[in-house]
Amino acid sequence: MSAPAAMRDPDGRGRAGPRRLGSHIGLVLACALILLPPLWVLRTSFVPEPQTYSSDLMPGATLDNYVGLLTRNKFASFYLNSVIVALGSVVLALPFAAMTGYAFARFRTGGRLTRFAVLATQMLPPVALVLPTFAIFRAFGLTDSRLGLTLAYAALNLPFLTWILMGFFEGVPVDLEWAAMTDGTTAWGAFWRIVVPVSLPGLAAAGVLGFILAWNEFLFALVLTGPVTQTIPVALASLQSSNGVQIGKVSAGVVLAVVPLVIASRFIQRFIVQGLTFGGVK
Amino acid sequence: MASIELQHVSKLYAPGVYGVKDVSLQIEDGEFIIFLGPSGCGKSTTLRVIAGLESHSEGRVLIDGKLVNGVAPRDRNVAVVFQSYALYPHMSVGQNMAFGLRMRGLPRGEIEAKVKSATALLGLSGYLDRKPAALSGGQRQRVALGRAIVREPAAFLLDEPLSNLDAQLRAEMRLELVKLHRRLGRTIVHVTHDQVEAMTMGDRICIMRGGAMVQVGRPLDVYANPADTFVAKFLASPPMNLVPATLQATPEGGLALAIANGTSLAVPPAYAASYRAFVGRPVILGLRPEDFYEAPREPAWQPVALTVVALEALGAETVLVGQIGTDPPVELSARLSRHMAGSAGQTVTLYLDPDPMHLFDPATTRLIPRPPAPARARIAA
Repeated sequence: MSAPAAMRDPDGRGRAGPRRLGSHIGLVLACALILLPPLWVLRTSFVPEPQTYSSDLMPGATLDNYVGLLTRNKFASFYLNSVIVALGSVVLALPFAAMTGYAFARFRTGGRLTRFAVLATQMLPPVALVLPTFAIFRAFGLTDSRLGLTLAYAALNLPFLTWILMGFFEGVPVDLEWAAMTDGTTAWGAFWRIVVPVSLPGLAAAGVLGFILAWNEFLFALVLTGPVTQTIPVALASLQSSNGVQIGKVSAGVVLAVVPLVIASRFIQRFIVQGLTFGGVK
Repeated sequence: MASIELQHVSKLYAPGVYGVKDVSLQIEDGEFIIFLGPSGCGKSTTLRVIAGLESHSEGRVLIDGKLVNGVAPRDRNVAVVFQSYALYPHMSVGQNMAFGLRMRGLPRGEIEAKVKSATALLGLSGYLDRKPAALSGGQRQRVALGRAIVREPAAFLLDEPLSNLDAQLRAEMRLELVKLHRRLGRTIVHVTHDQVEAMTMGDRICIMRGGAMVQVGRPLDVYANPADTFVAKFLASPPMNLVPATLQATPEGGLALAIANGTSLAVPPAYAASYRAFVGRPVILGLRPEDFYEAPREPAWQPVALTVVALEALGAETVLVGQIGTDPPVELSARLSRHMAGSAGQTVTLYLDPDPMHLFDPATTRLIPRPPAPARARIAA
């Protein structure tokens, strides 16, 4: 006689029942809730502009939205602005964030209060920061420039990146630094030669997160840039005329804007999962 | 090679909170010394103070006669092997071992020669290009040791380097370290909480507790004459039996120890003069489990009736845990031959060799001094 199903499959995975069906329906609905908006944007980006609000699933297929966006709307140059500003801000902020985060993690510099004070700047509403920033940047001639926005993003992201890296550095065994210091390095040498290479996954993850934040930022970009130096979020917002929003082009722009983020997400996953410290210590 | 001297070294974490408390110790050039103690006793902190990885609040540290207070770890010419091995995970075995030499600016050829020689010595020749993650625990431990050896430091500071290894590998590495010490002749400070390592590896043991040094001496001397009840219990497994007793004078002019339920043990006459001041006072009687036997070999050996609580057959020997009396019961463990048989609840009579016994003062837990026990080889029961 064969064993009962429940005994063959103790975790109940093979068991079909109303509860299981109910949970599947719930999951499908949740997936639909998350996936339908981006799928609708993808669909709309390929639909001719006059038919974008059609109730048909795919009333036509065209690349006109993409072509128009890249030629008439100079989207490529705004894309380049976003890449330069987002990458530049990360390259600028990451070394400082690494050094600050390491000092907080290893030497408890400034105590707990300073740690929270650093994060407190992140809690202010951006609109409270953007006007003084604009006034200061205008005084230094940094408005309507990619450099200005890069500096602003680097400053805005620094506390966030510092906190991420502080957590990562706290996980690096101090024994590694001690070993390096008895092996002949200074504390700075131990940081540079051991801690930084060991923390590359954390640095990469923090860098990607900083890139995503800068890539998506709208308010500072709106205030600090001009018609030539604007970034993608501002460019997308400007795709409206007296006839209304050009939803086909906006959708195409969103699809193009999302591509680097999808790539970055894959990258970040790989680096967060991978732990370089494995094997170095027991 | 180097001597290491600690003069009244203390490390304070907060007012009144000591990590290390007034430790003074002279470690001779080429000596293999063991810092032994339970977790949190300050042994690793003392090691890190010697290495310069942690600052100390008071006292002086001298390496080879030179004051090194405030000297950076890299300038102390000591190598540290950590419990976690602390191998650089992004570097290969070869790069790990060469790192210290590169930092000291040695020519590439010389570095390669030294690394090659150390890897051959440690049986790691085939692993030079592997990353630490691709090595077993034992291999990682060897790489950590190799990284220390290639630098040819004046002293090796080993912070529980064997504690992450399995029992068999630990036994092998114990022997390897002793051989290595003989071959290199360098000063070694080895931190451990393992009594077997302490007894078998070092020239001297330094036992620590609560940040302070409790006793320093040759392993067998410390074993035979523990300074207090803490050392008596810590330095063996099973630990020394510590039994509350009262010292009494006998009508014949000798001394006896009254323990639970009227059980009495005679004190060897040779110790009577030393212990007479404690007559009528409570004491703690210390008996090593291996001083119990299944049969008498000497007339002076005293029979002790025990109710068996448990028998732990370890293969080569059997540890009997038994009780004397019932009100209150006093538990004793005895290390007996593997032929010992019995069952829980059964009453057995064992014979105690009283010569190695010790008495401790319950007020201070310190050993009450007595003349040395007569030398006698352990007699197989």
